[in-house]
Amino acid sequence: MTRTSDHGTATPVADRWFFLLSVFLTAGTIIALQIIVIRLYSISGWAHFGSLVVSVAMFGFGLASAIMCLGNDFFNRHRDGIARIAFLVYGPLIVLGNVCAQQIQFNPIFLLADADQFWKLLFNFISYAVPFLVGALLLGIAFMTGSQRFQLTYASDMIGSGITGITCLVLMLVIPPEYLLLLPLLMWWGSALLWFAMSQDRRAVGMVSVSALVAVGLLFALPQISVSPYKGVSYAAKFPDSKRVYHAYGAHGLLEIYGSSYFHFAPGLSDMASLNMEELPTNTYLGMYIDSDGPIGIMKAIPPEQEIYYRFLPMHMPYLVQPKPDKVFIVQFGGGISTRVALAANAGQVTVAEGNPMILKAFADDEIRQFTGNILADPRLSIIPMDGQLFVRATEQKFKVIDLSLADSTGLSSPGGFAVTEKYIYTREAMAAYMRALEPGGVLAVTVWNKENPPKSTLRLFATMAEAGHQVAGKGAPNSFYVLHVPLSTTTVLYKQGGFTSEEITRLDAHCREMAFGVVYRPGERFQGDGVRMLTSYSRSILEEGNIDSPDSQVETPEDEGVDTSVSALYSLLLDRMMHREDMGLLKLYPFDIASLTDDRPYFSGYVSLDKLHHFVGRLEAISDEWGYLLLWFTLGQAAIAGLVLLSLPLIFSWRTIFSRQAGKFGILGYFFALGLGYILVEIALIGKFISVLGNAVISTGILITGMLISTGLGSLVSGYFLEQVKTVMPRIFMAIAVILGIYGIGLDHWLPATGSLEWRVGVCILLLFPLAFLMGFPFATGMSWLARLGKEHFFLWAWGINGMFSVMGAVLVPIVAVSVGLSANLYLAGALYLLAWPCLFALLRPHHV
Amino acid sequence: MIYRNIHKVVCLVTVLFIATPIAGHAEHAPAFDVATLPVPVDTDKAAYLESMKVMTLQDKKMIAWRYDRFLALKHNKDLWRDKENRAFLLTPREEFTLERNKPRAYDHAFLDIGHGVTISGPHLVMRMTSALDVQPSDKVLEIGTGSGYQSAILAHLSNHVHTVEIIEPLHKRTSELYKKLLAAGHAEYANVHLKSGDGYYGWEEKAPFNKIIVTCAIDHIPPPLLKQLAPGGVMVIPVGPPGKQTLLEVRKEVDAEGKITITRKDVYNGKKSVSFVPFTKQEGGTWSGRGLK
Repeated sequence: MTRTSDHGTATPVADRWFFLLSVFLTAGTIIALQIIVIRLYSISGWAHFGSLVVSVAMFGFGLASAIMCLGNDFFNRHRDGIARIAFLVYGPLIVLGNVCAQQIQFNPIFLLADADQFWKLLFNFISYAVPFLVGALLLGIAFMTGSQRFQLTYASDMIGSGITGITCLVLMLVIPPEYLLLLPLLMWWGSALLWFAMSQDRRAVGMVSVSALVAVGLLFALPQISVSPYKGVSYAAKFPDSKRVYHAYGAHGLLEIYGSSYFHFAPGLSDMASLNMEELPTNTYLGMYIDSDGPIGIMKAIPPEQEIYYRFLPMHMPYLVQPKPDKVFIVQFGGGISTRVALAANAGQVTVAEGNPMILKAFADDEIRQFTGNILADPRLSIIPMDGQLFVRATEQKFKVIDLSLADSTGLSSPGGFAVTEKYIYTREAMAAYMRALEPGGVLAVTVWNKENPPKSTLRLFATMAEAGHQVAGKGAPNSFYVLHVPLSTTTVLYKQGGFTSEEITRLDAHCREMAFGVVYRPGERFQGDGVRMLTSYSRSILEEGNIDSPDSQVETPEDEGVDTSVSALYSLLLDRMMHREDMGLLKLYPFDIASLTDDRPYFSGYVSLDKLHHFVGRLEAISDEWGYLLLWFTLGQAAIAGLVLLSLPLIFSWRTIFSRQAGKFGILGYFFALGLGYILVEIALIGKFISVLGNAVISTGILITGMLISTGLGSLVSGYFLEQVKTVMPRIFMAIAVILGIYGIGLDHWLPATGSLEWRVGVCILLLFPLAFLMGFPFATGMSWLARLGKEHFFLWAWGINGMFSVMGAVLVPIVAVSVGLSANLYLAGALYLLAWPCLFALLRPHHV
Repeated sequence: MIYRNIHKVVCLVTVLFIATPIAGHAEHAPAFDVATLPVPVDTDKAAYLESMKVMTLQDKKMIAWRYDRFLALKHNKDLWRDKENRAFLLTPREEFTLERNKPRAYDHAFLDIGHGVTISGPHLVMRMTSALDVQPSDKVLEIGTGSGYQSAILAHLSNHVHTVEIIEPLHKRTSELYKKLLAAGHAEYANVHLKSGDGYYGWEEKAPFNKIIVTCAIDHIPPPLLKQLAPGGVMVIPVGPPGKQTLLEVRKEVDAEGKITITRKDVYNGKKSVSFVPFTKQEGGTWSGRGLK
């Protein structure tokens, strides 16, 4: 049954092309909507909640599949009418869905305190689920229509999605975010025109064009972005003298810079500054916001008589050991504070990396240049426009001082530390690279936020640096570290190549005393105390007594008498064990997982192991920095329940009429479950891996979506030539996929190109991607084609729904597996799933009636 | 019984101060003496409700909820002394929340108050207040007026409460609320002096302060506030996002040689009674440094 058989047209060949192009554009509309909704969410609210909303809205696919499976005959009879209505309303629904969701914003920080937030969240889901449902219906109808040559239809779907992915990224460079929805609107309109052209339905062409005009009108008339009042930029906009002095948009986000006398930054500033400086610098900052988040302070040059101010910042510490260093490397430029400190320390040459080109562009703007005294033009600076950790891993250069201060450190401070994101800049491999890039006697200084209680991310950083130190310095590691902190402010780890001399330690000690910085590790001093008792007592106070918030809980229990469990004491104990690599089992007594970050597990998340989670039930606010991670579990559970309900509806309602008579139903279920889950595991896990070498999530996602979907589309296309040899070819394909995934799991970290230009790295990534994604295009198209051939039409739609449903679950599962075990584990899991699909395929191939 | 004559006193005080701008009082002549505040019976709920009958304008349901929360705060050691008990039991928290959040006013939760800010949970407000140990003669500065609830609590403890709010419309809204409450008989709020401005710079004209309480997020302790803190003074700052704040106590002390030292203490995690320890031996989460002059 093809479209042409229902409606005779002049040229069947043109008809087929119209159909395939229409599928291409419909698929593109859906993926564009996904990408752009997440983009808009990251400006107005929180990107990871946007992903959550979209993934749940994608249940539109499951719902569409269930409805179409149950009402298969009805849909077959009224296909044209349903398609016509769906096409007519789709565009306006895209715009209205977004407007509604943007207006009724929920706020994650109130989720536990305010019951209304759940309703708002639900409203957000529904607002987006409706357009996704309509899109899914259209795609479902297209799949039914093109079922006989499914591999072609599926290839159009994949290639359409892939090309749209990269188109979205390009458009983000040139179109303001509020108008990005023009892309899905344009694609929807084109898709509808082609669809109606097949049946030469001029009236429908006219109506959908009017609908398109209405949709575009709504897009321009109604606000497409409403920034949450809890985003940083909303506060800046409220300052009485606030003024937006610069803004730009691009693939890296929306960058805004505000000026106001109300901006005050000085991360980690010593409390003693107020007592020791006659006059502190005032009005020295602009506030920079990326996607409404921030601010990052942009500092102007302060007069020479006030430059003593820099001494009161923790970033000054490395210059006590290496005064006037000839070569300094700043891993991330950010707002430029570290760079200023380096210049004030009379560094000879300062190499500064910045992976976000928009920041560098902003600093070249006239107004910003004037404010900063054109810092980037300082003859002592050389700018590296790439991710600092990538540069260091590849460079042959050596430095006297390497500074990594508060870079990309939201996950290290409590505010905003919700999202589960890869932090390659802080992994053991990156730390080892920084250490190896030091000249003899050179100093690496890492400063991060220290605002958690109980501490978690800081301890992970300590563990990571200690491991890297042992890799690089061996037995010299304990003498190579010096760690200080300011309670509830910042902590700084100093690593000196070759170890600190006693004279240097004395100098550092004196400075810390003067600044009221607390030293928690110094060479030559061992922690004296009963570590087991300390950690047991602390762990009990956190996990069992449930009085984490009580100010005097730890002094009133008699057995705790005399046990110091302050953050300082904990740091001293744990650093002592980490640096000396003694009694490492003690670390297990700490109530949270403080394992190091590696390239395979680059997360400041997942501190609460599942066996300890029950201790926090009923007081989740105590671990609010884990909500992003816990939310993944919640979403997984929710996706599993909703998925099972939607999938079982056809089973329950059509068991007697359809399913009981059909052979291989559980094989079909298993097959599409394995493919749906396996494919998305590979896609999302590789996005995570690619970020490490492509430097940012946007480029990585763009390359992955485009490269992978197009390769898969091509694979699907080619699979059509092997349909007859399915029983001999497919086992080889499954084996090949599993083997490649196994090899990538083991070796990808080594093969991904850390060096070379961005184009080169992108090229290598695509080359690595192509064979895998090409082969992964075979199974789905082959399975669906055979279902259509065998006349298992109900299964055809059900299978599509299963695939979609497990894709949603897989998208959530990836970060959970990655945080718990590592990114590579997802690839192994996917390999196992493709092997599972092998026997399932043979069940699927059993003929219609038994 | 206790309240037999209080009602008349409250009305009289209200009449005296209702026509006077709130921020117009001199520190040395407090508009209201906290020593004259009634002491509600807190031994059991029925007695408390009976004793609060005099507060005719307060919603009885809210008063009952307040007592329930009071018990929870006591149990969790958020309230340390009788004076803080009294402040909590007399302050109508519901007046400082948005209308739609009134039913949740006494929940163990922070609540939205508009303008992108929140009113902290009662547990945090009372623990911060307890940590400050405010004396009636203390001059207190609050940075971040917000809903006004914290300063209302402080008004039951000190005769000199100063508070600064950065968001102008919120400052206006809270000022109006105070006028309304003053008119309704809460004479103690005459001691609250409000100002709109950047709290980073404190309130220099009124400095020095014996106690400073900061209720807004910042990446460092504002040096002007440390300057405006009187020797021997205490500053309390909650650090972190709403719902996940830890409490930092900063003390400015003068040692025997006349040198000023600043110490930080994490009130939540460290021990409650920590005496000054030399920097090289960190205990109890206290650090200190010496001023150069």
